[in-house]
Amino acid sequence: MTATPVLRTEHLSRRFGGLNAVSDVSLSIPEGETVGVIGPNGAGKSTLINLVTGHLKPSSGRVLIDGRDLTGARPWVITHAGVARTFQIVKPFRGMTVRENVAIGILYGPHGVRRMSHAREQATRVLEETNLADLAERAPGELSVADARRLEFAKALALRPRLLLLDEVMAGLRHREIESSLELIRTLKTRGITIVVVEHVMRAILAVSDRVVVLHHGKVLTEGRPRDVLSDPQVVEAYLGHRYAQRRTGGS
Amino acid sequence: MTSFLQATLYGLLQGGLLGLIAVGFSLVWGVMNIVNLAHGAFVVLGAYVGWQVNDWIGLDPFLGMFVAAAVLFGLGYALQRWLINLVVNGPVFITLLLTFGLDLMIVQAMNIAFSADYRSIPTSYAGDSLHLGGIRVPLGRLLAFGVSVVVTLALVALVNRTRTGLSIMATGMDRAAARLMGIRARHVYALTFGIAAGLAGMAGTMIGTVGTFNPAAASGYTLLSFVIAVLGGLGNMYGALIGGLVIGLVEAWAGQYLPGTWINALAFLVLVVVLIVRPSGLVGRAYYAARLEV
Amino acid sequence: MAAAARWKPLVPWVSGVLLLLAALGLQSQLYSGQERTVTAIFMFVALAQAWNLLGGYAGYASFGQVVFFGIGGYFTAVAMTHWHLSFWTCLVLGGVVAALFGALIGMPLLRLRGHYFAIATLGVAEGIREVVTNLPGLTGGGAGITLPTVGDQATTAYLGNDGFYLLFLALAALAVLVSGLVAGSRAGYALRAIHQDEQAAAAMGVNTTRIKVLTFALSGLITGLVGATYAFQQVTIFPERLFDVDITVLMVVMVVIGGSGTVLGPLVGAVILQFLSEYLRQNYTSYHIFLLGAIIIVAVVLLPQGAVNYLRDARRTGEYSLLANVRRYRL
Repeated sequence: MTATPVLRTEHLSRRFGGLNAVSDVSLSIPEGETVGVIGPNGAGKSTLINLVTGHLKPSSGRVLIDGRDLTGARPWVITHAGVARTFQIVKPFRGMTVRENVAIGILYGPHGVRRMSHAREQATRVLEETNLADLAERAPGELSVADARRLEFAKALALRPRLLLLDEVMAGLRHREIESSLELIRTLKTRGITIVVVEHVMRAILAVSDRVVVLHHGKVLTEGRPRDVLSDPQVVEAYLGHRYAQRRTGGS
Repeated sequence: MTSFLQATLYGLLQGGLLGLIAVGFSLVWGVMNIVNLAHGAFVVLGAYVGWQVNDWIGLDPFLGMFVAAAVLFGLGYALQRWLINLVVNGPVFITLLLTFGLDLMIVQAMNIAFSADYRSIPTSYAGDSLHLGGIRVPLGRLLAFGVSVVVTLALVALVNRTRTGLSIMATGMDRAAARLMGIRARHVYALTFGIAAGLAGMAGTMIGTVGTFNPAAASGYTLLSFVIAVLGGLGNMYGALIGGLVIGLVEAWAGQYLPGTWINALAFLVLVVVLIVRPSGLVGRAYYAARLEV
Repeated sequence: MAAAARWKPLVPWVSGVLLLLAALGLQSQLYSGQERTVTAIFMFVALAQAWNLLGGYAGYASFGQVVFFGIGGYFTAVAMTHWHLSFWTCLVLGGVVAALFGALIGMPLLRLRGHYFAIATLGVAEGIREVVTNLPGLTGGGAGITLPTVGDQATTAYLGNDGFYLLFLALAALAVLVSGLVAGSRAGYALRAIHQDEQAAAAMGVNTTRIKVLTFALSGLITGLVGATYAFQQVTIFPERLFDVDITVLMVVMVVIGGSGTVLGPLVGAVILQFLSEYLRQNYTSYHIFLLGAIIIVAVVLLPQGAVNYLRDARRTGEYSLLANVRRYRL
């Protein structure tokens, strides 16, 4: 007997006109696992996240959270089921302070705090955890790229999720900033949070993932342990093109 | 049966004219995301220009409409270039309010200059009709319909085939990218608004020839433009023509069979239902699903 | 310093109460023409605040807001005339009916965004006006309906200038209070988040549909109460006036000029614009609409973010130049 996976997708597909952005993706992610999702641009990584979080409705297939069928449920319902996400293009609430940005999740998340003073206190704690405490009263527009990405992270953590979907939280960051993001992800792992990391930065995926899923043209190309997946010629080809893959496999 | 056919014919002829009114409104909305509440005022102003040149030198309205188009083009270009461009990046309701302010000013100015009386531009032939079977085909309306269809199709050709047209479409799709390609967005916006105003003015002169007009009619044409633009899909020029024909028919049939002024409620009912069921319009593409990152 | 910080949250409450007392004291100083002008200002303060709840905080600009005004007014007229209810009953019921109508149309329409929502609400308002016009048996149709205010038929004695001054003042105070409570509440956070990014707000667990519909209903409730009171004040009402799109536009202009999404903005905007409009009407009768249009244009070009927001930002950055302000929003 295995425990119910936190996230399960069954034959999940989404078409845009004639384009199969995601097609027939079946994944099963057990509690506590960290899964990296990689793939070239346009492979359907962000679409997959949007399908899970209800920001897009699937054309066919099912999404199950903790065994509950939440296919096509609205985003806030998914959030209340314990799922939090970040957006690839950061979406701060610009008219509000950093603290207020985080407080929204505490007020409306699955643990919905009703007292404003409690929400502010908890928001401060989340900001301390994510090294944003000094910027609490700033407007999001005044933040650096790295801090804006961290705010995106902090907003997701404010929901105290069981499943966290990170959509390219490290894109455009410098070496040291990536290290601090990885440190944060490792801390969350030790708390038993299930994490899906969508990322271009290969090093980051290798550093934190227990398992890697490779998407290509909307389909699962392969999945497995990070090392194995990266040496898979199919993966190399998808990323770097046919000729490069031939040369590499032929040469070694 | 004859009355039904008569109403249908009348609706189609009127619909073509409504399509010409709405096509510019739709273009401005689609390209610049501006809902121009002064559009109806442009229509009526065009009618007054046509009336005025007819009064001064006896110019036939089907020639006078080109004068109206030129005057309104200039006015529209200037308004966009030096006024509306100032607030294009503001919140949604800012442009609505700005054009509402323009509407108030233009309508009131027409009231002062021309009084609130109903007028019509006289011709010797517009009232004549052909008879096909038992159906009367008014000559003026037939001519206005023909001009409207030709002009709308010419606009489609202009936008799809010429450099100017392509720069309009490019700016509408991605302003930042268009600017990087060397397109002068301020000028292109002004041009788009000028074209829309010019077409409204042209349609206005024809409206004034086949029917009557006064300053108070402006808001009605703005609302009809809304309905038609939404029906046809934003920025979709063929769509505006089709939407115009649909509304023309609906109004003609409603006028025939519904009592009182229920006919006015009908256009709004159509609008609200279409917005709820298919916000992308009858022939438009779905703008909403396309909004989310893919 | 610490003491000052502790008292700071009380400042809006104290100033609100002082303002209310000042308005009450002002009444005895006015002759009847002035009293009616000030009464109209109170009415627009309440209307602008109501519009601001959804339009300002959440960014959903309803261009058919007047429909709630008309529904509140016509419900009162019909119920007093045909069903012989007292004005006070009608006032409450009129507000409730307007709120229910808001919830009803809000459910489909609040899925639309931006201009689409603005226009769909405008369509509803124009449509309902036509319905009212075409039911002469019930509403008197285009010829209007006269409320029973004198003689045997009167269910409630006419309130007179003084009475309406107080009633509209109470409605304005209620609207400001509601706006202030919403601004600082959990719901206020959600509405502001929706304004900035609805998808992100939903991802944070906000049931966006529910909060939008409830806010629209609340905004409809206040507008309906004002409409009911206006109908009683006017005695004879017409669809053209009760569903006049200009009333909606005035609400929007007042909110925008004052500063949308703030408690103070609609208050400031309503007072300035109504005062100005009345002044122009009395001194430049035939040009006053023209001038009003010009003022709207100048106001939105110079202060697209509203006076209150402009002053707040200017105080923070030290940049008071209006030209710099224009530069921020132009193409």
